[in-house]
Amino acid sequence: MTEALAIQGLGYRRNQKQILKDINLTLPTGQIVGLLGANGAGKTTLMRLIAGSAINFRGAISVAGVTTAPQRKAQVSFSAQMDGFNPSWRVGQVADVMTALFPDFRTADFLQLAQLLALDQKQRIKRLSKGNQRKLQLAVTLSRRASLYLLDEPFDGIDVMTRKAMLSSILRWTPEQATLVISDHHVSDIDQLLDQVVVIKDQTVVAQEAADTIRTQGQSIEAYFESFYGGEQHD
Amino acid sequence: MEFDDKVPIYYQIEQYINREIIVGNLAPGDQVPAVRQLALTLTVNVNTIQRALAELIRDGILVSERGKGNFVTTDTAVLAQMKQRVIEDELAETYDHLAGLGMAPAEMVAALEGYIKERKEGGSHD
Repeated sequence: MTEALAIQGLGYRRNQKQILKDINLTLPTGQIVGLLGANGAGKTTLMRLIAGSAINFRGAISVAGVTTAPQRKAQVSFSAQMDGFNPSWRVGQVADVMTALFPDFRTADFLQLAQLLALDQKQRIKRLSKGNQRKLQLAVTLSRRASLYLLDEPFDGIDVMTRKAMLSSILRWTPEQATLVISDHHVSDIDQLLDQVVVIKDQTVVAQEAADTIRTQGQSIEAYFESFYGGEQHD
Repeated sequence: MEFDDKVPIYYQIEQYINREIIVGNLAPGDQVPAVRQLALTLTVNVNTIQRALAELIRDGILVSERGKGNFVTTDTAVLAQMKQRVIEDELAETYDHLAGLGMAPAEMVAALEGYIKERKEGGSHD
């Protein structure tokens, strides 16, 4: 079976600065994966590279068997894919734009998700609170029928009740054969959803482990993650 | 449902379903909710539910009927054994905790008897 994601020897530099190096990573289909790392560890850059929105890297990235950036864009639904949208657009207009950009976008799903997450269709993007912008990103991302979903810090600035609604949305709308990668630096936001975790530190992947394996050793995922950062991370 | 983050979640779900059977929320022959429904109810991922159900099927607690779903076994002997295991697990945990406090077995028995007597007389309901 084709892997959801296969990365070999990935390296990436920007402005003569090494952002990512020596990344090898394979993810199977049908899993929820936590991409864990401190702020600035390179999680967002890695997602941008996978999604095809950053190019000029070393190595190879393959998503559901396809390798070129345009092909990958068609297979990956990335939470930052609406970042360039006009902030004056209303929530309802976003669906029209997404439909034009991506043939796999399902407006009916988007309307249901928007309702579940209590998003007002008439509200302009720029008038949305930070939390509502995160919810809109989630609704847009999950409304595509993709092979790989990338959610970059989806719970940043989200309160507990909203987080529950978002977690339910993720479980309900992610297709069973798809793989979902969630980046987070607050592991407790997502730990009960995860099949496995990937830890990023010092510009590379330092660990990949099944959640069950970690817990079978009597360790929480949070403690496992923190063991790589040695208590240096506080926020 | 609140999970212990240091114990595999599939195992906690197995325990949860066992308890639902013991207390009678799920009766012998009852159908267990669909995988996706359970995933949503418990806010865990579908693979975790599938693993928990697979373990319960392996243990004979649940019976899978192709195309219909999963059902609680009607074999009462299997369910009685399961209940015995759950009770033993509880006892083992309590024993370990009390032993960790330095109590000898005889002291534990005396303390438990005293506690039960007190509960009865006090008419406590929690």
